[in-house]
Amino acid sequence: MSHDDFEPTIIAFVCNWCTYTAADLAGTSRLIYPINVRLIRVMCTGMVDPKYVIKAFLEGADAVLVSGCHPGDCHYINGNFKARRRVKLLKEILPQFGFEPERLKLTWIGASDGLEFAHIVNELVSAVKDLGPTEVRKTMVL
Amino acid sequence: MDMRIGFYICHCGINIAGRVDVEAVAEYIGTLPGVIVSRDYKFMCSDPGQEMIVDDIREHGLNRVVVASCSPRLHGKTFMSACRRAGLNPYYFQMASVREQVSWVTEDPARATDKAKSLSRAAVNRVRLHESLFARHAKVHPDVLVVGGGIAGIQAALDIGSAGRKVYLVERQPTIGGHMLQFDKTFPTLDCAACIGTPKMVEVAQNSNIELISYAEIQEVSGFIGNYTVTVRKRPRYVIEGVCTGCGECANVCPVSMPSEWDEGLGGRAAVYRSFPQAVPITYVIDKRDRAPCTTACPAGINVQGYVQLIKLGKYDEAVRLIMERLPLPGVLGRVCPHFCEQQCRRAEVDSAVAIRELKRFAADHADPSRWERPVIEEREERVAVVGSGPAGLSAAYYLRLDGFQVTLFEALDKLGGMLRVGIPDYRLPPDVLDREIDQILDLGVEVRAGTVLGRDFTLDSLKDEGFGAVFLGIGAHRDLSLGVDGEGSEGVLRAVDFLRRVNLGDPAALGRRVAVVGGGNVAVDAARVAKRLGAEEVEIVYRRSEAEMPAYPEEIHEAKTEGISVSCLKAPVRVKSENGRAVGLECIDTRLGPPDMSGRRRPEPVKDSEHLIRADTIITAIGQTVDNRWARDAGGGLEWTGRGTLTVRPGAMQTSVPFVFAAGDAVSGPASVVEAVAAGRRAARGIGRYLDGEDLEQEAVEAEGPDPGKDWNPVPQGLPGEPRAQPSLLAPEERIKGFAEVEEALDEDAARAEADRCLNCGVCSECMQCVKVCEANAIDHTMQAEEIQVQVGSIILATGYDLWDPTPMKPFGYGRYRNVFTSLEFERMNNATGPTGGRILMRDENGAFTHPPESVAIVHCVGSRDDRYHAYCSRVCCMYALKYGHLVHDKVGPDTAIYDFYIDMRCFGKGYEEFYRRCQEEGVQFIRGKPAEILHEDGKLVLVGEDTLMGRRYRVPVDMVVLCAAMQARADAGETGRLFGINQGRDGFYLEEHPKLAPLSTASDGIYLAGTCQAPRDVPDTVAQASGAAAKSLSLASLGEVEIEPTTSWIDPDICAGCQVCIGLCPYGAIEFDAQRMVSVVNDAVCKGCGSCSGFCPSGAARCASFKSVQIMAEMDGIFDAVHEVGR
Repeated sequence: MSHDDFEPTIIAFVCNWCTYTAADLAGTSRLIYPINVRLIRVMCTGMVDPKYVIKAFLEGADAVLVSGCHPGDCHYINGNFKARRRVKLLKEILPQFGFEPERLKLTWIGASDGLEFAHIVNELVSAVKDLGPTEVRKTMVL
Repeated sequence: MDMRIGFYICHCGINIAGRVDVEAVAEYIGTLPGVIVSRDYKFMCSDPGQEMIVDDIREHGLNRVVVASCSPRLHGKTFMSACRRAGLNPYYFQMASVREQVSWVTEDPARATDKAKSLSRAAVNRVRLHESLFARHAKVHPDVLVVGGGIAGIQAALDIGSAGRKVYLVERQPTIGGHMLQFDKTFPTLDCAACIGTPKMVEVAQNSNIELISYAEIQEVSGFIGNYTVTVRKRPRYVIEGVCTGCGECANVCPVSMPSEWDEGLGGRAAVYRSFPQAVPITYVIDKRDRAPCTTACPAGINVQGYVQLIKLGKYDEAVRLIMERLPLPGVLGRVCPHFCEQQCRRAEVDSAVAIRELKRFAADHADPSRWERPVIEEREERVAVVGSGPAGLSAAYYLRLDGFQVTLFEALDKLGGMLRVGIPDYRLPPDVLDREIDQILDLGVEVRAGTVLGRDFTLDSLKDEGFGAVFLGIGAHRDLSLGVDGEGSEGVLRAVDFLRRVNLGDPAALGRRVAVVGGGNVAVDAARVAKRLGAEEVEIVYRRSEAEMPAYPEEIHEAKTEGISVSCLKAPVRVKSENGRAVGLECIDTRLGPPDMSGRRRPEPVKDSEHLIRADTIITAIGQTVDNRWARDAGGGLEWTGRGTLTVRPGAMQTSVPFVFAAGDAVSGPASVVEAVAAGRRAARGIGRYLDGEDLEQEAVEAEGPDPGKDWNPVPQGLPGEPRAQPSLLAPEERIKGFAEVEEALDEDAARAEADRCLNCGVCSECMQCVKVCEANAIDHTMQAEEIQVQVGSIILATGYDLWDPTPMKPFGYGRYRNVFTSLEFERMNNATGPTGGRILMRDENGAFTHPPESVAIVHCVGSRDDRYHAYCSRVCCMYALKYGHLVHDKVGPDTAIYDFYIDMRCFGKGYEEFYRRCQEEGVQFIRGKPAEILHEDGKLVLVGEDTLMGRRYRVPVDMVVLCAAMQARADAGETGRLFGINQGRDGFYLEEHPKLAPLSTASDGIYLAGTCQAPRDVPDTVAQASGAAAKSLSLASLGEVEIEPTTSWIDPDICAGCQVCIGLCPYGAIEFDAQRMVSVVNDAVCKGCGSCSGFCPSGAARCASFKSVQIMAEMDGIFDAVHEVGR
């Protein structure tokens, strides 16, 4: 599969207060970005169970984005720090499942950062295209 | 139960349908199992759209609904209520955002349709696993909190107050009013800001429903909509509200002068001040920071800043009284104090430290305590013996006597004063000064027994038998240490303390022609200078380290040298050479400095074979003193001594090991400074008082430690012109050595007061207490503490306002460099009748004083706004106030004044604004399109250089004055404040509203509303309108009395919970408790906010967040992948 043909699927767990709102703003600002990212809204990145991330990879995601409020801005005081700890540990174990740790990304995108949201999506899609599909995807029986 | 799902995709006009093939999506979803109806419609949010859902639920018995349209943040609630109307639990609904996340951000229609299919399928998959949930209802507390007392806060508080609801108005400044009350006129009607603003302020003060909490900040916010608990920290005003009558006498006597924040630094204010005469509350406030470093550096804790300020005012008696609260010997210390205070003086950051010791001496010399009223002493019966009349003893006697004790002062010598008398030579401390100050202490009624020696004439026990309840030992350290070299016993070898004592008592030893003094301390220098005065031809100080290590004060060494005394360093004495028992010289060895020793100074090491002889017929050894404790063998009565031969005491109370005996001064500390002895003497006096009162002295020890004094000082002003430190004149060296006349002369009055004026007032309030003296209402309380107030409210309105952008970084405009370039707010203050110029528009001269009106004025728009380097946004009010300025200049300075208005675009969008623009054009303001590139200073004029973009040519416009229309920006601490309330800032720093059009007053936190310029730059009319809007929001909540709380909280399944309690540590609200009986964790519904932190990590999967259960999220993901795998992307 060539670089251009490859359409990665990226699952993004985004918090209701910051990144989801930023995505809305990117929309109202009509910022064009690739279709590959599918948002799953959660109330807070602190509720993102590590098994969601592993499940996403095992089902065929080429990358997973976890994105919440900037440090200190969490609507629930410190949920984003919990997410940060979990992502750090997940990156340690992902290689054991055969996934490169770069496929998991954690960002902070504030509610007013519509531009930033579009920018991150662009960047992530391009990086994942460079990485190519995951082993799971390649061997997947569809 | 059968799944009966209804799916609806919205066209949103062409917003969605223009990119997404909505029919194809509806068709695709219609094929999924359980989907009973699948439709597309032009506007789902419209009435017919909603009715379609209602009808389908009823007709087809739908039990799940999915709408694919805009963001659920916009219309989620709309469709949920449609479900509710049709009798379906609203939580059986899910939404897919195919507008914000698909049609608006995707170019290719085919891709957009594919993405819409996957998001829709995810929602359908998810909704199957939804459960019915029931909203909780919570009572709404009827009271409201308004944060910020500018015009927005005032308006909101008044609206709520006059609706009969209680409102708390919290303001950070000492007065409400905010920026609007700093202005002069308000556009476009040119109402005077004070005329329309102050009546509203008064109304706030008078409305019984409004509780104004001024000079206070929000510390903590907890709770949720309808039920907030807010902690407010009220800073101490030091003036009691309600008692202060606002007469202003305090400010008249206050010696401190500070730039006035209210006048944007153009004018001054005292440390006790009121922002402006119409302030509400009318109460004055004292600006008190942490204690000045000079005061905290003083061992005696003398209020240095206070007396320096009193000297500045010419109140010398008051200054000395203030000093004497801590130190009974101001004239003595004004001469001999090592001035630890000056080492800490922050004036040194500008030029050099304030000459504090000279000022103290000046005050002491100019005060006349004999005229003072005798202090009222409440007599007590207890007798206290003070042994030793040095500085420690005198200080103890003075403060004990003031406390009413019957004090008897014992002195071994015939004259009082201890080391002050016999250790310090008269040219440094004239005896009449000492006599005067000792007499003043004795005049309080102290009995003196001079010539009585402890151990010879009396003992500690005999004092007790005589009826003394306590004894103070201030016996000093008068015994010289010996050099310990051969020949020390020769004739002609003297010991310094002994030598000085004899000189001071008028019985000097005979000196030879050549004198060598061994030692590098102050005693050595004193001995050398005395020897010179007694007629020695050659005097040489011999010291074993280098001059830098000499413990003597550098100024003393310097003066000694000017008097012709030589200083030989890096020489250590080996033996005294004598002939026929008479000393003829000092044999020395050269030294070099090795590594530092325990004292931190480098240890001298002898240089081999460098012995040589210094010829001298008199050798004075001055290598240190110790306490003479030979008496204690017989009369000590169990006193404990340290290894250094000093007395052991409990540090706070200065109590020795014998409970009724206290001690201080050199006898405890070893040889130290006078001020340290005085301080310790006073401490001991307090200790004795408490001992005689039968109090616990352990506590005293703890208090002696004290809290860290803090460093929140008045910042050192920038650009302060340096002023030389006052130098007292000195007697010519050749005159000095003729006798013992005082070397240093006092400052003259002008010099002293000018020197006092160099003080930077680090603590702002100097605690000179002049205000207390003049306040007839007794409203001033310098001990006031900050107060924490807790309020319960149902909703909160944030009206925290804006900051003006500081144009200093915009270097080409020269703000801060050119004295006649002003910011808009400075110009407002200049125009205001209560401002620094009384409302006249004046130029500043080179000293910063306002002098005469300008002949030409330039007004520059968009400074810091519409500028990508600073703020991209338009500050919105500048065009209009710039027009106002043009009008004001014409009005106040005269119609002939040339006014140039440099703009980019004129934005006159409001009611009556365009008309005002026309009027100003007709008044003769010259409008030039094109922001200046820079402002130059040429021939006394400010020259604006730039391009006129209408005429297409360059301009150079010389003017007298420039006003920069600086941007409004978010408060510097907006982020911090926002976090307290759980609301975010937008990109521009202003608070983010829930929706820019449909919910501009609401925030992400329910029950917290925004008003005024904390949300975005805006003018007064808009601010007031928005404030009323926010008030209406709060009032509607209050009148509802009850709110629905979303049931999206967490729950822990007790059948699965393993009781590991990990969730308890994760919960940021402390909403989870452990039920020890059932061994499971339990969520408290009322406290849980549904963040799901617990569910994100529960190892057994027992913790679940309603509406975000893991099966629901997994199902959503499955839906995405199913669709992706089907359509290939």
